Amino acid sequence: MLRVEHLTKIYPNGTQALKDVSFQVEDGEFLAVIGLSGSGKSTLLRCINRLIDPTSGKIIWNDVDITALPASQMRSVRRQIGMIFQQFNLVKRSSVMTNTLSGRLGYVSPYQSLFNYFSAADQKRAIENLEQLGLADKAHVRADSLSGGQQQRVGIARALMQEPKLVLADEPVASLDPVLAHSILKHLEWMNKERKITVLCSLHFLDLVHRYATHAIALKDGQLVFQGLPKEIDDAQFKAIYGQEAERVSIV
Amino acid sequence: MKTSSSLPRNALLASVLSLVVPGAGQFYLRDRSRGTAIFVTALACGVLIYWAQDNFRAAMAGGTAIALWALLGCFVIWNVVDVYRRAHRQASSNLIGFLLPTLVIYIIGWQVTDIRPDRLITRFSYALKIWNDVIHPDLFMQDVAGTWMPSENFGYIFGTIGPEVMTQVGPFRLPVYHAGKIVETIALGLMSTLFSTIMAVPLSFLAAHNIMSRVRGGTLIYYAMRTFLNIVRAIDTLIWGLIVVLWVGLGSFAGVIALTIHSVAALGKLFSEEVEHIDPGPIEALTATGANLVQTIRYAVIPQIVPSFLAYTLLRWDINMRSATIVGFVAGGGIGFFVVESLRKGAYNQYAAALWAIAVVVMIVDYVSAKWRERIMLGATNVSGELPRPFYKSLRAWFYIIVGTAVFIYFWELCEINLKDLLNPAPTFGQLVRSFLSFNLDPEVTDAVVRQMLITIFQALLATTLGALAAIPFSFLAARNLTGRSRLSIWIYYLTRGLFNVLRSIEAILYVAIFFYWVSFGNFAGMLALAVTTFGLIGKLFSEAIENIDPGPLEAIMATGATRLQAIAYGILPQIIPPFISYGIYQWDINVRMATIVGFAGGGGIGWLLYNDYFPFMKYRSAGTAVAAIVIVVTIMDFASAKIRERMV
Repeated sequence: MLRVEHLTKIYPNGTQALKDVSFQVEDGEFLAVIGLSGSGKSTLLRCINRLIDPTSGKIIWNDVDITALPASQMRSVRRQIGMIFQQFNLVKRSSVMTNTLSGRLGYVSPYQSLFNYFSAADQKRAIENLEQLGLADKAHVRADSLSGGQQQRVGIARALMQEPKLVLADEPVASLDPVLAHSILKHLEWMNKERKITVLCSLHFLDLVHRYATHAIALKDGQLVFQGLPKEIDDAQFKAIYGQEAERVSIV
Repeated sequence: MKTSSSLPRNALLASVLSLVVPGAGQFYLRDRSRGTAIFVTALACGVLIYWAQDNFRAAMAGGTAIALWALLGCFVIWNVVDVYRRAHRQASSNLIGFLLPTLVIYIIGWQVTDIRPDRLITRFSYALKIWNDVIHPDLFMQDVAGTWMPSENFGYIFGTIGPEVMTQVGPFRLPVYHAGKIVETIALGLMSTLFSTIMAVPLSFLAAHNIMSRVRGGTLIYYAMRTFLNIVRAIDTLIWGLIVVLWVGLGSFAGVIALTIHSVAALGKLFSEEVEHIDPGPIEALTATGANLVQTIRYAVIPQIVPSFLAYTLLRWDINMRSATIVGFVAGGGIGFFVVESLRKGAYNQYAAALWAIAVVVMIVDYVSAKWRERIMLGATNVSGELPRPFYKSLRAWFYIIVGTAVFIYFWELCEINLKDLLNPAPTFGQLVRSFLSFNLDPEVTDAVVRQMLITIFQALLATTLGALAAIPFSFLAARNLTGRSRLSIWIYYLTRGLFNVLRSIEAILYVAIFFYWVSFGNFAGMLALAVTTFGLIGKLFSEAIENIDPGPLEAIMATGATRLQAIAYGILPQIIPPFISYGIYQWDINVRMATIVGFAGGGGIGWLLYNDYFPFMKYRSAGTAVAAIVIVVTIMDFASAKIRERMV
């Protein structure tokens, strides 16, 4: 279970990205985080694995206060939390296999991994994950020779290598075509249902939220403005989250 | 993947083929590019070893030659193993096949460049003495009362006011200012940039394929123009200086001409490439309206090219400023002439003062030019609805025009520009032009030229390697995104950046004097001087490459729970190795050009041959051969380095 309590983040330049955000995620949920660009979604997700240090507030995961952990112990927490990025964040010149295996870095000895050495078990696991995502034949090509949808699937494979209990997905489909968006989200749904991984996913389109998420929260200007089930987001809620001028658009 | 049914190419036959002729087996296995590469590498190494043995008996004695042949033998064995494994569809490592020839080349380079690391230590007391001069430049002195004041040397460099007469300029009475050598250098840089831009613009249209292909016979002009520009560009400003001096005599004017000639060719190439990259849409549209060639250029081409032409002109100003600091070595004029004179007197503290002055001025020009270019490039994409006010209504524009004109007139006089001199060349000049183009191909001359040319290339290679290796650790300290936020690391950042900037603002040839004194003259001194400039130039490029990496992968790898070391190995190294190699090759290309002139200051290589053996004794036919060799090598390096870097991306 993940509990976020009174989370606040103020950047050094004075921008207040999160204001006193509190919510709770049960194991096995697929939680959609919605809100406009700049509403604090990315900051929230990055606070959870401490890529960004929150200014105040607590993040408690399985009874451990992540915000209070020293850097040395963050490594073992981070390896249980996978992350998927809008821009995929692959090392473009490295192969798909190396990119996938890099998800295992939290488990292996730092010195062995410097020489690109990974155990046979890890390599087998990487191939299995790539097969699962339909990329087995691409294992030895350079990451930048793949299409955007394929690159994002490598990103998912990298996260799966961590054998995570929680996955943070930061706008995973915002850089992709609508058709590919569904394919990527189906993979996330599969992780959530079959592998019992809790998923926190920030999304732009409301109908994707209705289709895939089990729960939803909404941020506006860094504040939590909604918490509940996706179907509870009615027109009034929608206007509250996205502003009065917003129109509902749908995605195929 | 081919199945094994198509395999039965005979592995044994392939191995035997490769043993007899390296690469032949790979060729037989239908891997043509690999076979060719192996063959060319083996042949080149063999020829080089043979050449070194023939030319450098002393250096190659004591088993060096045997070791080299043994290494080549290992390479041939590797090539046989390689073809055998490939015939059996097994993986074969490229690493050994790459390392062995590299080792051969570096050993030969080390021997022929006469690398003597022991001298760095045995003659260290000389280094201390010259270091003492460098940090105590002759710029200020104490008078009897103990107050600090500019020394006489300060006046030579920066100029003096007075001492007595005032002049009447219009309504103003102004003290007389005698320009110093550094001011003269600034004048040289600016005037040559101005002249070369004016000349390069029309030439660039003649060298642009998309324009010339519209004219009858234009393609022929295009090829002629491109070849001409490439040849002129391959010859360094200082070599042009040697020739120009015979035309207009020693002095600043010769410097301006030498700078202008080289700069026209360099700008002409950049400009014409810019013309070739313009959007063809508007040209098509205007041609469709029935506009002729000149109208098309005026309305469809010029509006597209103005920003990039301006940016390239500013870049050239920076480069010309650097060249202007050394053109005085041969042509007279500018601070280079002053440096030569103080070195002749043995006044190293005056020389040091000149170095500091050059560093300051070049750094300022470098900064201003970069800032302006940045603004132009921003402005080029700036979409503003307003039309600018016509310039004649703006007071500021008039102010700039008046100041610009005054500076132009002053610099014109300072550069002693005298167009009549162009029509009145020295009597030997005609002989020079005639002899220059009838190359002397006597074996003794070609041997000497080939020998010195190869030394020059090796000098550049070793200097690039040394400078780059030294720069790598420093470049991490000078990368903004990696340095921490603590006060100490910010200090280190600025110190490293400052070190790069000071060192790269001084041309290699100016450093030769230091190493001349330290390790005595020759190829080793030239190599070390090149390495110092390389350190500054490549350190800056490397640290910028590190700053330009995509932070995304780093973030993603940190998020998996990786350690900092792992994050660097997986997130940063794969991103910086290709640009580092690419910059290294680029720098080698630049260093070959610079190495052709370090000999003018006693740094060895082909410049030494030109400056000491051929030009002083009017052996212009031999000089022509040497310059032709430079043109060939520089052109090949330029082409090869561009091709390799293209493939690296």
